[in-house]
Amino acid sequence: MSLFFQSLVLGVLLGGLYALLAAGLTLYFGVMRVVMIAHSAFLILAAYLAWFFTTETGLDPLLSLVVTVPLFFVTGVLMQRLLISRLRPATLTMMSVLLTFSVALVIEGMLGFVFSGTQRRIRLPYSGDSIDLFGANIAVVKLIAFALAAVSLGALFLILKKTQFGQALRATIQHPDAARLIGINTDRIAGYGFGLGLSTAAIGGTALALDSTIYPSLHWHWIGPLMAIIVVGGLGSIPGAAIAAMLLGLGQSLLQIPLGTTWAQTLFYVALFATLMVRPQGFFGGRLAQRF
Amino acid sequence: MRSVSRAVGLLVLAVAVLAFPSLAPDPFILSVGVVIMSYAVLATSWNFVGGFTGYISLGHASYSGLGAYATALLVIHTSLNPWVAMLLGGLVVAALAVPIGIASLRVRGASFVIVSIAMVLILLLVFQSWGEFTGGSNGLRVPRPFDESVLRPEQHERFFYLHAALLAVALLAWWAIDRSRFGTGLKAIREDEDKAQSLGVPTFNYKLTAFVISAFFTALGGGLYALWFGFLDPIFQFSILVGSYMVLMSLLGGIRSLFGPLLGAVIVGYAVEFFKNQYGDTQFHLVAMGLLLGLVVLFMPDGIIPALSSLLNRFRPQAASIREVSAGDLAEQRRTASAATSTDDESTDRLSEGAQR
Repeated sequence: MSLFFQSLVLGVLLGGLYALLAAGLTLYFGVMRVVMIAHSAFLILAAYLAWFFTTETGLDPLLSLVVTVPLFFVTGVLMQRLLISRLRPATLTMMSVLLTFSVALVIEGMLGFVFSGTQRRIRLPYSGDSIDLFGANIAVVKLIAFALAAVSLGALFLILKKTQFGQALRATIQHPDAARLIGINTDRIAGYGFGLGLSTAAIGGTALALDSTIYPSLHWHWIGPLMAIIVVGGLGSIPGAAIAAMLLGLGQSLLQIPLGTTWAQTLFYVALFATLMVRPQGFFGGRLAQRF
Repeated sequence: MRSVSRAVGLLVLAVAVLAFPSLAPDPFILSVGVVIMSYAVLATSWNFVGGFTGYISLGHASYSGLGAYATALLVIHTSLNPWVAMLLGGLVVAALAVPIGIASLRVRGASFVIVSIAMVLILLLVFQSWGEFTGGSNGLRVPRPFDESVLRPEQHERFFYLHAALLAVALLAWWAIDRSRFGTGLKAIREDEDKAQSLGVPTFNYKLTAFVISAFFTALGGGLYALWFGFLDPIFQFSILVGSYMVLMSLLGGIRSLFGPLLGAVIVGYAVEFFKNQYGDTQFHLVAMGLLLGLVVLFMPDGIIPALSSLLNRFRPQAASIREVSAGDLAEQRRTASAATSTDDESTDRLSEGAQR
């Protein structure tokens, strides 16, 4: 029973991180109809930056967020303005996949080139600490990672719902032409939306670096589950992505007990295929997802 | 004039391919030639989906890998003739591609790409963990199709010709589809799927058929490679990198042209081997590959062949209209037609005068 409860808690913690990252992917898809393969590569890049920051300065990796979040935001805006917006609208979906794929390859290659392929891990004074939560033994770093993800997801929600920028962003996602008619500069908003999405990768990467071993090709293990999550949730729907992330994260964690880690991973792909067979637009997706 | 130059070009290409093994200075160069030929087969097979329908699959490595494993497992467990096993492996993969195609082609674009990537990742997981059947991470040794008396260089030469033959069949199939009603429907899907559908093209069936044909040829390519290389490792068989090589080669050469993927395979295949030789085990070839793909996507999405032919067309006499027939021919046709029916004389004359002017 305690093993079950332990997995349940771990599943929720994992699901939180998935939800944050999937929210970023959904933002890109919403503003530009772009499937951003490089999202998880940026995630690993942020994790490496956090690791590098900690080994060089000896400070807490969470402080690296002060640098990485603005850096990634600017990178996202530049990427949208300089790369993605240059593609022809007719073939945007397909070509953007290839373009972001090439970005992912460059990042992976450069990480391997600069930091070598050795596995890295941050050593923190509180790395080994854990607390007892109703009989489940939870590592402190996992809790911090979850808190980070939850706070950022909440902040993202507030930005989208309460600010004028968020309103403009949602208008751009819902109907770009109409948004332009009422005076929203959709190009600029799309750029900022991209930056916002990439910022989630910066936060997620730092959270990831806290409690896992990182290596350059790790991003392939993340992109598959994340893609499955946004399809199951319905392309373009942020709440859908968050719910699907929670459910699948929980499922993966629970299935690890009877099946082992490798086979538990296949849950994401089974869910992906089942969704496409039963409900191709995803379970929480609206009008947007139908067409893509 | 055009057909003559085309025939000469084909002849030169065929002679170059046939003469390569005897021109290659050493077995290593010959083996690089086999690898490039294998890439050409895979890229051309990829182009059945990518070129005709515009659906870009990043995960075609799943079909080449499945073909390779199907061939190897059939040879090992049933002691079939290797070539029969290869063909059977291709058919098995084609059958598997039907449900995969049905799932991934139901939605447009993005989901297709996601499923294609997911397929590779699933198969990698499955083939790595299902050790007793697939050999797992230790790999799988494939028995050689020729007996011991055939030495390495001789093997390379034979496999070079076998790959060339498979490539020729794939190119022929592509050419035949390109000229058929089926191919026209597929290209209509590529240009505008909604319009194609409203004009009565059975878009889903067409896409699925093209997808299955592509998977079949890709699997054959994978099977042939397995028989040549003699060893399969899931990491290299089900690698997204291999799938993206196919995309890069086809895009670079030009996905709308018959020989585009072949040209791309020669360039990229050579570059890959060069980088591996120069920089060895570092990850630098990933950077080079990524940069090249990015440049092609941004600046030359139509590929080399269309770019070159448009350059050549600048030096040709300017075409009068987008039609294949000239305005004069058309006027002549109208005149004979109107003479035959002898109605509406006045209006057709006016029309033909306008066209001649």
